[in-house]
Amino acid sequence: MEKIFTLVGFFEILLVLFMQWEVYTKKIVTTFSIASYTIAAFLFYIGIVENKYLVIILALITATVRGFFIPWFMKRSMVRDHWREREIRPTLSTAFSVLMSLFIVVFAYVLYRVTLYGSVQLSAGSIPIALILQGAFLMVSRRNAFIQLIGYMIMENAIFLFEGYLFPELPFIVEAGVVLDLIGIVAVSGIVVRMMKNSTSDLHESDELRG
Amino acid sequence: MLFALSVLQLLYVLLLSPLIFGILARFEERIESKKGPSIFQPYYTLFKLFRKQPVIPESASPLFHITPYATFTLYTFLTLVLPVITAFPLEFGPTVDFIGGGLVFGAAALLKKIVSLDSRSNYSHLGASRAASMGALSEPITVLIFIMLGVISKTNNPYVINNVLQTSSSWYLSLTHWFVAAAFFMVLLVETGKLPIEHHTTAELGMIDQAMDMEYSGVDLAFSEWGGYAKKFLLMSVFVNVYTVPFFVPMKYDPTAIALYMVVHFLKLLALVVGIGLLEESISKFRLFKNFDYIAISFALAFLSFLAFYTTKGSF
Repeated sequence: MEKIFTLVGFFEILLVLFMQWEVYTKKIVTTFSIASYTIAAFLFYIGIVENKYLVIILALITATVRGFFIPWFMKRSMVRDHWREREIRPTLSTAFSVLMSLFIVVFAYVLYRVTLYGSVQLSAGSIPIALILQGAFLMVSRRNAFIQLIGYMIMENAIFLFEGYLFPELPFIVEAGVVLDLIGIVAVSGIVVRMMKNSTSDLHESDELRG
Repeated sequence: MLFALSVLQLLYVLLLSPLIFGILARFEERIESKKGPSIFQPYYTLFKLFRKQPVIPESASPLFHITPYATFTLYTFLTLVLPVITAFPLEFGPTVDFIGGGLVFGAAALLKKIVSLDSRSNYSHLGASRAASMGALSEPITVLIFIMLGVISKTNNPYVINNVLQTSSSWYLSLTHWFVAAAFFMVLLVETGKLPIEHHTTAELGMIDQAMDMEYSGVDLAFSEWGGYAKKFLLMSVFVNVYTVPFFVPMKYDPTAIALYMVVHFLKLLALVVGIGLLEESISKFRLFKNFDYIAISFALAFLSFLAFYTTKGSF
């Protein structure tokens, strides 16, 4: 089981690196969809092996919401806003952000070893921490609102991967609630982005979600 | 006996290397629904060039004329030391390890860059500048890959690495190994001048290696081209024999096995050529400055192999 967790984890790290490399929003959304389906498949496997039907249901919800619905909704929104299809002005250069993302993975490994490893002795335990930090970095390194949302959802995916593997006993309502929360977040963000676009004549002003 | 096998390997590489690239060119043209050149076109081109007198720029030093022969010799030397048709060292095998082989490749590349500057041609300068920028970043990745292979096999000997990967399924299936293989494949595309890095057209916009040979002609160009084919053939052989499909390579002297493996090796290269051809036909060339993003990803893959090694303790 741990080997599959490691394999899925490194695959997710690779997908985030690919997102950091990519400038076309649609491809990033599709990559996120693949990442979500992979996590859903992993949860499904855990459910089958450990005979927990709630984890299987969770896997199906993950595949439907994160793998299909959210990417579909984002792509649909992008059809209306063509200028969002590509990251025009990333905060950092692509090569630098790829290297930073890699550095974050190494940092997460060191961080996990010196802190959590004493209590949770999982050799690949640093992977979800790396994914959380990589997701956060994707958010700050891009200006495009959709890519920032993807960054947030990568962080969510990482938490899901971690708790799905380590704590499959967690109450179903909590886990399902996290997945369904995302629909709300994406829908609200979609409305905010649209309002921002309608309230300003400068497209560059509205391509970023600001607090 | 080892000496005879060395000669056989030398002939195998030098004679078949143009054919592989003739097949690749033909395959790509066929995908584009064109008739395409004959698979023997590289031989015809070499034959034509061998019959022509070279023209040398007036301002060039004698080094300009010597370099194609020197680089051809260096690639010939590499043919004698790398595992192509056997997984046991031949007569000259013990002379260099992977790092040494990399240095010989680097020496040939350095000579080519120096004479490109010596030619005083703007296009050659352009190519040398671009190749130096790319090489400065891609060479460390190659060294990183060699270091990681050293961690796997406790040596830098390509023959030992082949034997370890051929006999140990846990190493062969490990994440560490596959990250290294993926990083090497990306570097292979850079070193062999394939898409998305370089497109061999007459447009100077994306020229890298092609621009450096711009002032060569006749026999000099023939040796430069032939050496180029041998270099690409060797890199592809290392990729299939050491990194991805180390199987079937004879680990001890057996004439029948070696003869059979020569056919198998050629088939392996054909499979790789089909893969590269499909890749070249499905992606477009990156803008020049985007090549560095590509190299950053390649570096990330090579570095992730380290992390995979420490994460899995080398057991997966």
